[in-house]
Amino acid sequence: MHHVVVEQWSRGSSPLHALDARAKLGALLGFLIAISTTPPLAQAAFAAYAGVLFSALVAARLPLGAMFRRAALVLPFAATFALITWWSGDGARALALAEKSFLSGLAALLLIATTPMTQLLRALDSLGMPRPLVLVIQFLYRYLFVISEQAQHMRLASRCRQGPSAGRRSRFRAAAGAVGVLFARSWERADGIYQAMLARGFTGRFPAFAPARFRIRDGAFLVAVTAISVAIRVSL
Amino acid sequence: MHIPDGFLSPPVWATLDVAAVPAVALMARGARQEIEERRIPLLGVMGAFVFAAQMINFPVGLGTSGHLVGGTLLAITLGPAAASIVMTAIIVLQAFIFQDGGIVTLGANVVNMAVVGVLAGYLPYRLVSGAGARRDGDNPTSTRWRSSAIFLGGVLSVLASACLALAELLISGVPMPRRMLWVSLGLFLVSALIEGVITLAAVGAIERLNPLWVRSPKDSGSRALGVVAIAAVLLVVAGVVGASAAPDGVWSLAAQLGMSAQPPSWLHAPLAGYQVRNFESTWVRKASAGIAGLLMTYAICALAGRAMAARALTTRAGVRQRSA
Repeated sequence: MHHVVVEQWSRGSSPLHALDARAKLGALLGFLIAISTTPPLAQAAFAAYAGVLFSALVAARLPLGAMFRRAALVLPFAATFALITWWSGDGARALALAEKSFLSGLAALLLIATTPMTQLLRALDSLGMPRPLVLVIQFLYRYLFVISEQAQHMRLASRCRQGPSAGRRSRFRAAAGAVGVLFARSWERADGIYQAMLARGFTGRFPAFAPARFRIRDGAFLVAVTAISVAIRVSL
Repeated sequence: MHIPDGFLSPPVWATLDVAAVPAVALMARGARQEIEERRIPLLGVMGAFVFAAQMINFPVGLGTSGHLVGGTLLAITLGPAAASIVMTAIIVLQAFIFQDGGIVTLGANVVNMAVVGVLAGYLPYRLVSGAGARRDGDNPTSTRWRSSAIFLGGVLSVLASACLALAELLISGVPMPRRMLWVSLGLFLVSALIEGVITLAAVGAIERLNPLWVRSPKDSGSRALGVVAIAAVLLVVAGVVGASAAPDGVWSLAAQLGMSAQPPSWLHAPLAGYQVRNFESTWVRKASAGIAGLLMTYAICALAGRAMAARALTTRAGVRQRSA
């Protein structure tokens, strides 16, 4: 599945990968706010944002084509609304909608492609996200792929059993049954996981192998990106 | 409908980000009451279940298939607050990993789907506990009441979050012709009905495997959550009515009504100071409002966390005193 690719990217080594996740998160927010408040007619500003992102992509040594394709996942939604906007006679605004959502998606992708999920979650935790939510996201991410794979196996198995001729009603009932079984298996798996973790001394938070430290260069990066975003926003 | 970045105007996303923080904090607190604290990690696995269950296709006729969205299903199995936390986690992950929904619009998506969607979906189920439908085994009337509540929950959940998202887009000034508006409302209704049917079938299947997995309406969720749920539904109705009255955005309505370019004062949310279609207003005000919104979000978050921790300490101390 394609998410694994991002996971691999995030393990890379580059100056961007080495930065503290909090600095990158803050820089991302500043950048996104700048994009969000840019008026639709400021095409030069959009070009400048794209330039910043492009140089960051190069600095992070990420595969450009693959990154662009992934960021393009936002385009179907954006294109729909852009078309409607264009249709109601506001061409500039339509273009800006598509540009804003693509650039923002690319920026968010840049964060996740240079930051392993564990680091990102630790950053969110230390910035005050409620602990239950952090724990839930952590477990969700860990077991997402396990349980998704189980669902795919079940789908395949039920297709093999039914054949193409099954009626809609019976297929519907089979799908409901599959959801029920998946629920049961997830619940039991959760129980098992939890018991196993308790047996290994789980205290309610995951231990960090390397404590995150906010160094001078993290602060410098945060300030620099924010300053560039503001400068683009003001001057272009 | 996950709103990506770039679609909502700064006042809209800033307001919703600020609104989402206390809402999620409240839900996190509620989840601790609904689920034993030590079982909180279980919720993550159930979130993964929802992700995976969305891959299972339900044939819904006309050659198309739908899938479960899951807010209502989670609300009546895990409890509304826990369900809300799980949905929030799903939305955060989708925004970061799958580029499905934006980062600055995270608050909007969380409010639409994880707070309003879950609470609206849970509301009918909560209400049947008061409507004479005690869950006493084989009483057919009460079973029918319960089934219709589950179905209605699925419908309301999807309808509420979709309508809310649409209203936010309209208020942000994304133009939409009136005919298009009706078409999309129709599509929302169809997908809402599909969610109702699928939720009902899935809950039935889960209940057959183990009846204890489905909570009885009475002991799920506090009364405060019920009140919040009703408020959430009312908010959606108001938002949709308001937005559909002015499909070109609230600002143009204001202009039509002869107000000057200045929006009415009640629209000056704490952060507003900029107008969506009025680009002469200085960037400083816009940017500083955005940043102020974030700072406020952070401050509220930190304060709510402190207050919650303090209260948890005192209640625990109280319990200990009583037991001593």
